[in-house]
Amino acid sequence: MAAGVDCGEGASARQHVFLVPEYLKDASKKMKSGLMFVKLVNPCSGEGAIYLFNMCLPQLFEIKVFKEKNHSWFINESVQSGGLLHFATPMDPLFLLLHYLIKADREGKFQPLDQVVMDDVFPNCILLLKLPELEKLLRHVTEEKVNPEIDKKKYYKYSKEKTLKWLEKKVNQTMAALKTNNVNVGARVQSTAFFSGDPVSSDKEEDYIRYAHGLISDYIPKELSDDLSKYLKLPEPPASVPNPPSKKVKLSDEPVEAKEDYTKFNTKDLKTVKKNSKMTAAQKALAKVDKSGMKSIDSFFGAKHVKKIGKI
Amino acid sequence: MESSDGEAIDKRRVHLRPVTLRDPAPVLLHLLPCEVLVNRPAPVGLFFTPAIRQGPDGLEVSFRGRSLRGEEVVVPPGLVGYVMTEEKGEVLLGKQDFSEGLQDDEQEEQELVEPPEALERDFDRFIGATASFSSFTLWGLETIPGPDARVRGALTWPSLAAAIHAQVPED
Repeated sequence: MAAGVDCGEGASARQHVFLVPEYLKDASKKMKSGLMFVKLVNPCSGEGAIYLFNMCLPQLFEIKVFKEKNHSWFINESVQSGGLLHFATPMDPLFLLLHYLIKADREGKFQPLDQVVMDDVFPNCILLLKLPELEKLLRHVTEEKVNPEIDKKKYYKYSKEKTLKWLEKKVNQTMAALKTNNVNVGARVQSTAFFSGDPVSSDKEEDYIRYAHGLISDYIPKELSDDLSKYLKLPEPPASVPNPPSKKVKLSDEPVEAKEDYTKFNTKDLKTVKKNSKMTAAQKALAKVDKSGMKSIDSFFGAKHVKKIGKI
Repeated sequence: MESSDGEAIDKRRVHLRPVTLRDPAPVLLHLLPCEVLVNRPAPVGLFFTPAIRQGPDGLEVSFRGRSLRGEEVVVPPGLVGYVMTEEKGEVLLGKQDFSEGLQDDEQEEQELVEPPEALERDFDRFIGATASFSSFTLWGLETIPGPDARVRGALTWPSLAAAIHAQVPED
């Protein structure tokens, strides 16, 4: 277990610099195995992302990577290019479950959880079913049914109303954290703010809501994020984009027993949704707002900002 | 953790050996404001560390003839830093685990129950912590990276993440 395993010459094994919660260290004293990195779906983008499971607690952690151009590590007597810093932070598994519940909701019926959380691309998603107190968690976002005559299994169905209520609570508790952490969420500070009578401008609260909404939106699909923004009554743009009503009318006009097969209909529908959601009303509103002081999670971790540091 | 093995990665699990988290040796870490394009041993203790001086505004050193200024950055409270390195020869290690399973039956003083089913498969890989740290030295070119430096922003992420992912009360 020597620090910095030397391979003598040439490239050596990749080293990852991690920050993890301290209690993982204590938990590790009582376990032999059960800590593992797996690839699961990112509930916002639908792409793959790395998570850490502790099967003994059990608990789910999200892995985020800090990455900035032109950085490297010296790790004891070695050099590691890239300068990446990995963070493992606890993640609410409900965001991931929600991804599957929403997907399953297209069938529009109550289903047992093990039929909902299925994924050909990310088969490790079955590990989610091992997390504790799932039933309690699911109450926030689903309607449930039990059929005691057949089995004791619970059947779940996604509820948008409940989910929006749950997300509102999430936004509120994130806002509180933003305030206690003194995160700068507002637009540019104007000098008049220092001289006028009221030190706290009225729209400051709104900045916090919008910022918190942005943070939560990194964990939910785009459509739900838009619904949440409406639910929170985030300002609509003055000239809102008229939703193309023609398509919707057409769809409802068609007989239920459409000639096309159902899957075809589904993909078609998805495509139009995607097109429409390229830039939604809320996003357009945001685009008009001065965002100079705003940061999203990406600003911490992405490498958008290229600092002008000469090659050394 | 990334791999070019294509499909396999989405099924694969990379097991982190808990035993390596217990008491790994402390490590000296420096985050440099430049990209060195190789991963390999380097005589840091011969050239870099002995040249660090305490200047009027922070630590001073030079690397490849350029002047660097830096300061110690402490890992936020509640967190611990690890350097992790992937192990090689996973097949052997995977088999070793079956015998470990047998021992488990005898060791009843174990406080946490091991997950019942086999979590480790043949194609899985293993990673272990090789060292730990509670602070690192952050370097900037000619000046210390200011309060707006993105690394510092990233270090506030865990406290924000805690709020985003905390359970909400039921109605």
